[in-house]
Amino acid sequence: MAFFKLFNNNPYFKYILGSIIFVIIVFIDLQLGLFASRTVNLLIRVVYFSVVAIGFNILLGYAGQISLGHAAFMGFGAYLTAFISNNYGLGFLPTIILSGLIPMVFGVILGLVALRLERLYLAIATLGIGVTIEFVFREWVWFTNGFSGARLSRPEIFGFAFNNSRHFLLLSTIILFIVILFTYNLINSKTGRALSAMRDSGHAAQAMGISLFKYKLIAFALSAFYVGIAGSLYAYAERYVHPSTWGAELSLDMLAMVVIGGLASIGGSVTGAGFLVFVPRLVQDLPLIGEITNINFILTGLAMILVIRFMPIGIYNWFDYKFIQPFYIKRLNLNKPGGDD
Amino acid sequence: MKKLEVKNMTKRFGGLVAVDDLSFKVEEGSIFGLIGPNGAGKTTVFNSITRFYNPEEGEVILRTKGSKIDLLDYKTHQIADLGLARTFQNVELFGKMTVLDNMLVGAHNNIKTNFLIEGFRLPGFKKKENQAKTKAMEILNFLGLKKLAHQFADSQPYGVQKLLELGRVLMSEPEIILLDEPAAGMNDSETDKLSDLLLKIRDEYNLTVFLVEHDMGLVMDICDEIVVINFGKSIMQGTPKEIQVSPEVQEAYLGGDDEF
Repeated sequence: MAFFKLFNNNPYFKYILGSIIFVIIVFIDLQLGLFASRTVNLLIRVVYFSVVAIGFNILLGYAGQISLGHAAFMGFGAYLTAFISNNYGLGFLPTIILSGLIPMVFGVILGLVALRLERLYLAIATLGIGVTIEFVFREWVWFTNGFSGARLSRPEIFGFAFNNSRHFLLLSTIILFIVILFTYNLINSKTGRALSAMRDSGHAAQAMGISLFKYKLIAFALSAFYVGIAGSLYAYAERYVHPSTWGAELSLDMLAMVVIGGLASIGGSVTGAGFLVFVPRLVQDLPLIGEITNINFILTGLAMILVIRFMPIGIYNWFDYKFIQPFYIKRLNLNKPGGDD
Repeated sequence: MKKLEVKNMTKRFGGLVAVDDLSFKVEEGSIFGLIGPNGAGKTTVFNSITRFYNPEEGEVILRTKGSKIDLLDYKTHQIADLGLARTFQNVELFGKMTVLDNMLVGAHNNIKTNFLIEGFRLPGFKKKENQAKTKAMEILNFLGLKKLAHQFADSQPYGVQKLLELGRVLMSEPEIILLDEPAAGMNDSETDKLSDLLLKIRDEYNLTVFLVEHDMGLVMDICDEIVVINFGKSIMQGTPKEIQVSPEVQEAYLGGDDEF
């Protein structure tokens, strides 16, 4: 009983418990080699796509702004990481932070565009950026190494080289948890409330002293920063960056993650990232269906339609409302729903 | 002392003059009513004062903390910080947020933190956040909404939403509040409760209340002074008694002789 109470009353508890369990699993895995290395690589993908989805969720779920060109920031972050570590030889931490900060500046510029456009028009304009950027990366040879793609070496922190992808999984997970805690704190304070207020009613938000100018820019800057960091993690994980990765499909995948997992929810972002990484892989192993080309796009589209039709709040939130919160309420005799996201 | 002064305000929409050379003064600590027939430009006056519209001519002088400011020099989101807060004719709440969060948005300008303090929960965060939360719960208690604090705003009935909007306005620690039809959609007994509440709010929080209202009962009961407008022009300003017997006002509401 006391355990459940702790779980419900302390919002950090579930994140801390989750991270401890995860770290223990990864440590056991390091010793025993529990997962196949293919699974480890997939888990790394889940981790950096979770960072992407959280960033995208700040923009779409909390601030109510849409962008269909966010793959550009991820690609930019990835290329920056390759460029900085190859040419300047900076360590892992400064590189990853720079790979977040520089896309953030471009995020602010996109935010300035968003001040003029709304909803569908913003989606169309940003989709334009999403489609163009792939070609920009192809032609911008001195920075991206064009069609041959950019390569980089293993990350290194304080002289410790992450040669094993299992070590890198641990590192990227730690970064993910920092991102989750930071986001959780931000969302449950003045800035997060201002973003949600802007989404629900722009007029009332302004009347309460919220500057739409400032908070739209904050939303775009934050999401570009997160997505840039995720791009950097991508570059370190794959150690190869190719222009065709950053097309409009990736931007649409980001949208799918957030919608399938759950809008305005951190857990939903991680769920969505996991869904988009694992489900196509699992299906590919099936007989017959697995042989269809581009089965992952078909699946994503289908999943989006089903989620919007049957659980519009997203898989994570649906599960939360349907099973987890009633469970707490029953156990603790609460008369109000608990939990925060 | 005059809290708010509107001087010769004119607002045009294309060829239509919605507010025409309008002037009036709101006494500090009073309940001031703005009335007029449908389409008289009442909400336009509100929107111009709170800077949602840009009036072409005129001045809006607000006396706050001993100094005089022209509100037309400020932007929409800066008005709340000057001690002037408003509600909307069609309740504008943050529907997907809880009742408590709605209240805390009202305190936006009073919580002085930035995203680094918030994101890393640096020292000072908890104190400022808890101050605002305590205040929000006090006001919710005052309005009788304390039990609903953790429920979503858009799942509340209309009456509660109206009260919540009022509560959110109080959170910004205003000196003057502008209420756009606070009694719209309420029945008689609810309206009576609202008039008591408005009087209580004025006394408890030391406010000036400026309201637009259609419900004559409410206006005549609680207002100290009323200005009547029609077609954007001021017809007369006076106490409820003077307004009730004025032939001009009756003409504006009921039509003049020549129209029959």
